[in-house]
Amino acid sequence: MRPRRRRREIRTAYVLLSPAVLLLLTVLAYPLGWEIWTSFTSLSPLQDGGTAFVGLENYRRQFGDPQFWRVATITVVYAALTIAAKLALGFGFALLLARPFRGRALVFLAIFLPWAYPAGVSVIGWYWSLNPPITTAYSIFLGQLKYSVDSVLGGGAWAFGSVMLFNIWRGSSFIGVLLLAGINAIPPELFECAVLESKNPWRRFRLVTVPLLKPLLALGVLLSLTTAFADLANVWMLTAGRIVFPVIGTHAYWLAIKAGQFGPASALSLTLVPFLLGVLLVLFWIFDPLERDAA
Amino acid sequence: MNPKPWWAKLGHGSLVLLATVYCLFPIYFMLVQSLKTPEEDVFGNPLIVANPTLQNFEELFERKSEVRGFVGDALLRPHPFFVWFANTLFIFAGSVVATLGVSVAAAYALGRLRPPGFRWWRRAIFATYVIPQTILFIPLYQVMITLELDDNLLALLLIYPSMALPFCVWMLSAYFQHLSREIEEAALIEGASRATAFFRIILPMSRPVLVAAGIFTLGTVASDFMIASVFLLTPVNQTITAGLGTFDVALDELAAVAGVNLLAIPVVLFSAFFARGYVRGLTAAMVEGA
Repeated sequence: MRPRRRRREIRTAYVLLSPAVLLLLTVLAYPLGWEIWTSFTSLSPLQDGGTAFVGLENYRRQFGDPQFWRVATITVVYAALTIAAKLALGFGFALLLARPFRGRALVFLAIFLPWAYPAGVSVIGWYWSLNPPITTAYSIFLGQLKYSVDSVLGGGAWAFGSVMLFNIWRGSSFIGVLLLAGINAIPPELFECAVLESKNPWRRFRLVTVPLLKPLLALGVLLSLTTAFADLANVWMLTAGRIVFPVIGTHAYWLAIKAGQFGPASALSLTLVPFLLGVLLVLFWIFDPLERDAA
Repeated sequence: MNPKPWWAKLGHGSLVLLATVYCLFPIYFMLVQSLKTPEEDVFGNPLIVANPTLQNFEELFERKSEVRGFVGDALLRPHPFFVWFANTLFIFAGSVVATLGVSVAAAYALGRLRPPGFRWWRRAIFATYVIPQTILFIPLYQVMITLELDDNLLALLLIYPSMALPFCVWMLSAYFQHLSREIEEAALIEGASRATAFFRIILPMSRPVLVAAGIFTLGTVASDFMIASVFLLTPVNQTITAGLGTFDVALDELAAVAGVNLLAIPVVLFSAFFARGYVRGLTAAMVEGA
């Protein structure tokens, strides 16, 4: 291709790219910078006088705080449990729908609906159904369930668990549909070959289906990680912080809004970034083969 | 192939039934609840509704009944539900259109024109998902005040697209990248401009992927509760989501559930209509030139 035409193409590319980049910069760049800067200061809306630069003090104090380690443990357990459940259910749904049977279109629709149902409001309905106000027909039953769970795992466990169930319900639907799309993208000849190669369906699943779906699995895991925290944040706002079981996100809210400590709150939420970046790097490493043979 | 034995059929059937019930039960439960009278909600069977009524839905638009008989009217505010509905429609439609426009432009640049380092651009855009949203709304509020968009629906029109954009750019650019060069080249040789080739050939071809991106955006936008309730303060500016969040559920539980359904039903019908296209589009984004 002639270099002049190529140069013009590149210029067009940057022009077309600019709205997306501008949008992300407006919404993310300043807030992220603010958060990083604040994590090094003692900024607080409750404090008289100026804000002091405290360096790494917020981080140092955070890692020495036993409460932080409790919060971190709950975060990891929450993320791991919900993702495992979502992947297992999602895989189940996708495999169920992959082969034709009578009424498949309707079952597909049923499996698609939990994700399509607007979660911003269904979390309201879900949360209040499982933690009902005193005066409903099922509140006695659910109340007893709640107290028996809470007495074993500590106050707030049932409310926390109900958010987990919600996240799994919605996320398994999303992952199921995503994996179904992935299975549809695999050429059927590959499965036919696999049937000739091995009689064991579990072996076929492990050696043929899973590797081909890897990029989608990776994508599903990342998106379900971010929605897992968004769901908790939603309920936290909804109940004005009545979730007693803190994860990193909600504990940062608590520090910022209830305790007015913007510095430690910023430090705490930034602690997540290295872990998520690590997950993302693994993801890119998994994505890449797909992109390379396409190019 | 030999026919399946009866136990395999039974197993398959019960799995299908289980999956359907698991997915639909919460939706069914909320629908049933919204159709109940307060009496039935307290004394009736929680799983069925004996005397369905639309009174909870009416209550969203105008206050009539006394709730539960023991709470005075003073505690109950009227809700501008029509306004919320219009706001929600505006925000949902606007976000989907804005996201699609911006991400199609970016994806065409990355997948088709391929400026130097296009893979890194795509990765950087996707990487914005790792920024924890937790307390970002505090500085984001400062941004919105600077832009004079606080307590304004347009603030959401900026924030929502940024939440769906990375995935849409990734999916659309993968699709554009998979299309073979010849598709456009023929038109370009005939003397058409790049823009004509794009609007006449590429855009119509990629309809399934656009549908998938649109449905994904709608799902993302509709799942937000936090941003809406933080940024929209006065009732006339609120969306249904933000408005329902201000209900006192101890008093207004049934009306709240009715409100949930009133937003959910149109969204669900719309998504269900495009459900097959959503899967087709996701598949197309993965298969070369599908």
